[in-house]
Amino acid sequence: MGTTVSIKKIVAITAMVSLAATLMAGCGNSTTTSTSTPAPGGSTTAPSGEQPAASNLQPKKGGTITIGLKDEPDQLDIQKTGMAVANQIAGNLGGGLVTQDPETLEFKPYLAESWTVSDDGKTWNFVIRSGVKFQDGTPLTAKSFAETYQRALNPETAAKVAGSNLSEVASVEAPDDKTLVLKLKQPFAPLLQYLSDPGWLQPLSIAAIQKAGDKYGRQPVGVGPWKFDSWVNGQSISFVRNEDFTWADPIAKNQGPAYPDKLVYKFINENQTMLAALESGSIDIASKIDAKDVKKYKDNPKYEVKEMLRNGLGLFIMMNTRKPVFQQLEVRQALNKAINKEAIMKAVIQGEGVAAYGPLPPSLFGYDEAVKDYGYAYKVDEAKGLLETAGYKKNAQGIYEKDGKPLTLEILAQTGTWAQAAQLIQAMLKDIGVDVKIVTLEWGALVDTATKGNFDMTLMGYTLNDPDVLYLFLHSSQIANGLNFSAVKDDKLDSLLIKGRTTVDSQARKEVYKEIQKYVVEQAWWVPIYTEKQFNVVRKPVEGVRMHPLRGLMYQDSWVNQ
Amino acid sequence: MKQFILQRLGSGLIVLLGISIFSFALIHLIPGDPIRIMLGENATAEQVNALREQLGLNQPLVTQYFHYLSNVFQGDLGTSFKTGRPVLTEILERFPATVKLAGSGMLIAILIGITMGILAARFKDTLLDFSAMSLATLGVSIPSFWLGILLIMFFTVKLGWFPIAGGTGLMDLVLPAVTLGVLASTVISRLTRAGMVEVLSFDYIRTARAKGLGEVAVLFIHAFRNAMIPVVTIVGLQIASLLGGTVIIERVFDWPGLGSLAISAIASRDFPLVQGIILFIGVIFVLINILVDVLYSVIDPRIEVGQLKEGT
Repeated sequence: MGTTVSIKKIVAITAMVSLAATLMAGCGNSTTTSTSTPAPGGSTTAPSGEQPAASNLQPKKGGTITIGLKDEPDQLDIQKTGMAVANQIAGNLGGGLVTQDPETLEFKPYLAESWTVSDDGKTWNFVIRSGVKFQDGTPLTAKSFAETYQRALNPETAAKVAGSNLSEVASVEAPDDKTLVLKLKQPFAPLLQYLSDPGWLQPLSIAAIQKAGDKYGRQPVGVGPWKFDSWVNGQSISFVRNEDFTWADPIAKNQGPAYPDKLVYKFINENQTMLAALESGSIDIASKIDAKDVKKYKDNPKYEVKEMLRNGLGLFIMMNTRKPVFQQLEVRQALNKAINKEAIMKAVIQGEGVAAYGPLPPSLFGYDEAVKDYGYAYKVDEAKGLLETAGYKKNAQGIYEKDGKPLTLEILAQTGTWAQAAQLIQAMLKDIGVDVKIVTLEWGALVDTATKGNFDMTLMGYTLNDPDVLYLFLHSSQIANGLNFSAVKDDKLDSLLIKGRTTVDSQARKEVYKEIQKYVVEQAWWVPIYTEKQFNVVRKPVEGVRMHPLRGLMYQDSWVNQ
Repeated sequence: MKQFILQRLGSGLIVLLGISIFSFALIHLIPGDPIRIMLGENATAEQVNALREQLGLNQPLVTQYFHYLSNVFQGDLGTSFKTGRPVLTEILERFPATVKLAGSGMLIAILIGITMGILAARFKDTLLDFSAMSLATLGVSIPSFWLGILLIMFFTVKLGWFPIAGGTGLMDLVLPAVTLGVLASTVISRLTRAGMVEVLSFDYIRTARAKGLGEVAVLFIHAFRNAMIPVVTIVGLQIASLLGGTVIIERVFDWPGLGSLAISAIASRDFPLVQGIILFIGVIFVLINILVDVLYSVIDPRIEVGQLKEGT
């Protein structure tokens, strides 16, 4: 008996001790980490309240700018990720061949000093700037660009965005250190837009990629103002200033190294937590703040709200033209007239956006102001009239029907703002006598359903910086494998869309999109609803944060006023 | 004893097998295609199909499961769809933060819970008892995210005492641990009170008092030990569930532990990672349960491990 007890005791004591040790270990660690990693935002907290709102201050070196982001990227090998947030972060590491003026949206030289295009628009010659170095010390040459783009085009890399941005490129060559030659399959107007992005198509150090192997995605190397420092899984990604950086993007005022010592991205998924982190100084910039939360920061001088219109159409309804009901133009037009865009915008995004009347948002090249005049306004009576012209009659329940079949339609929506909008759409269509059922799906399932064509209507949104996005959504080649969920197959539109992507002269190209815009509105395949604003809130000790209408926040002129 | 532990480990293995089947089925049943989520909105059907094939997601579910299981037995939990890194690496990177949070939360819960429980039992039916138990009831009813947000609003935003989303340092730990501890303490205090009230009415307690023993000695040496069995059970279970269940707290306080990893893994339908996390937590749950059973016999010598086999 005595031995049993003692064994019992030993086991019990071991159990107790290990439990206690687990608890202790937890507490012990916390002390050490807290001393070794002080909260980066902490240093900038103290003087914030007293700073005068002077704008002609001289930028100072030092400090840290901490940016809160909702999502954490999968990796920072920019050719292997498909996440927008990875591009947003990796843009600090790189730069584009050309750059785009934030005011005029014109393209200017950057890592290429100049470029020429052959008469047939298929051969592009870029002269690469001298004196630029990768952060691992290797010089940037035309060969670096050639190898980078060849890597993106190599199917083994499976480059998602970089690969598709270069999809019209047939070959990339570097006859000497200064000359980069891109040969295209056909003239491709969006090329400069894609080449101007500091993220997706930035030059990569092949030496660094070979050296790091599999780990490159977590220790990337570029030519940009910020050098990768560390990645704490689930928490943050940090950069330190690239001291050698003397080749800033010409759109920035500061042409030398960045002012702050560090740039930190913190991942905070919860909206309330993000705002609390901003207000308590844990972060300096809160990104993607909802319209409903932004007002109090607009009224507070300690904060600066930076807003931009989403680059792409924020929200629109796609009608599935595989369904007989939507093969009638009158029905499509009737739905367009039955939707009160302003009311949806007010309810869902607090009016923080622009009502959309055509397929292109005002932020994109090719948008034509005239669309507001010829686009469909909210006119319930005319909507009903159109349905009657199409052969529909109201039944006893007040729902339109044809051949004994009531006009009942399903609409797909993602949860969140889309689902809210869907409820309003349901009510508005009910008003004219159309019965709508809402099917709420999460993103992946929605795209799957839409791709298979198993739907009547779906809400949709997209982000892309070039009007060529309309090719992806409306060209007949994109029905089976692409984003043309509406299954629009129209020869006139097809040739216009091809013309839009192959016309390199920008004035001529603008005219093409003017025509496309008008034609898409006439045919009423979509119901455009709104383009929403996106908000970032900056805390006052951080100055000089600028906004690029297509790229978002720019930090080259930013500094910490401490 | 050895036989008992081996037996428990054996049945634990069966439980884990069940967990793996269940979690596998469940995650594949949630609507949402991981490939679509991974490739983003501009992916073509060709890209989608290629990746689906590459990840083996085009095979029948049963084949996928047995493939997964055989890998698990070889110690390979797979690689995360999202990051391409080994699942075990992802889990082990996040686990210490969760242990830290759950451990300190539990410590706070035990301190508050047992103190309140003993005091409430000792001063049964007084104002003290009433207030302590009302607080406990309140604590059970308060949602953790609400208490968390409230504490953030007051101590972080208003007073600026504690940082948020700063990392896993001691100061960062205070608010989430207190939130967790306060809420977990409620069950402990109620159970402690109930146990103590019962024990304090026994004859031997009267005897002890009659002997002239001090109240502290009566409460802690004579009564508390005997009232502890249900408390130990619940504490054990709570430790296990806290390790997997700090999800909401981690989310609210942006604490980089296993819980927040689980949420993002589910959101991106990162099947291997979700399965890995569930299995990992399952293992811990089973181990802690065995540990608790063993602890019973130490606390109350009347219980022999042998008896536990029959479910006493």
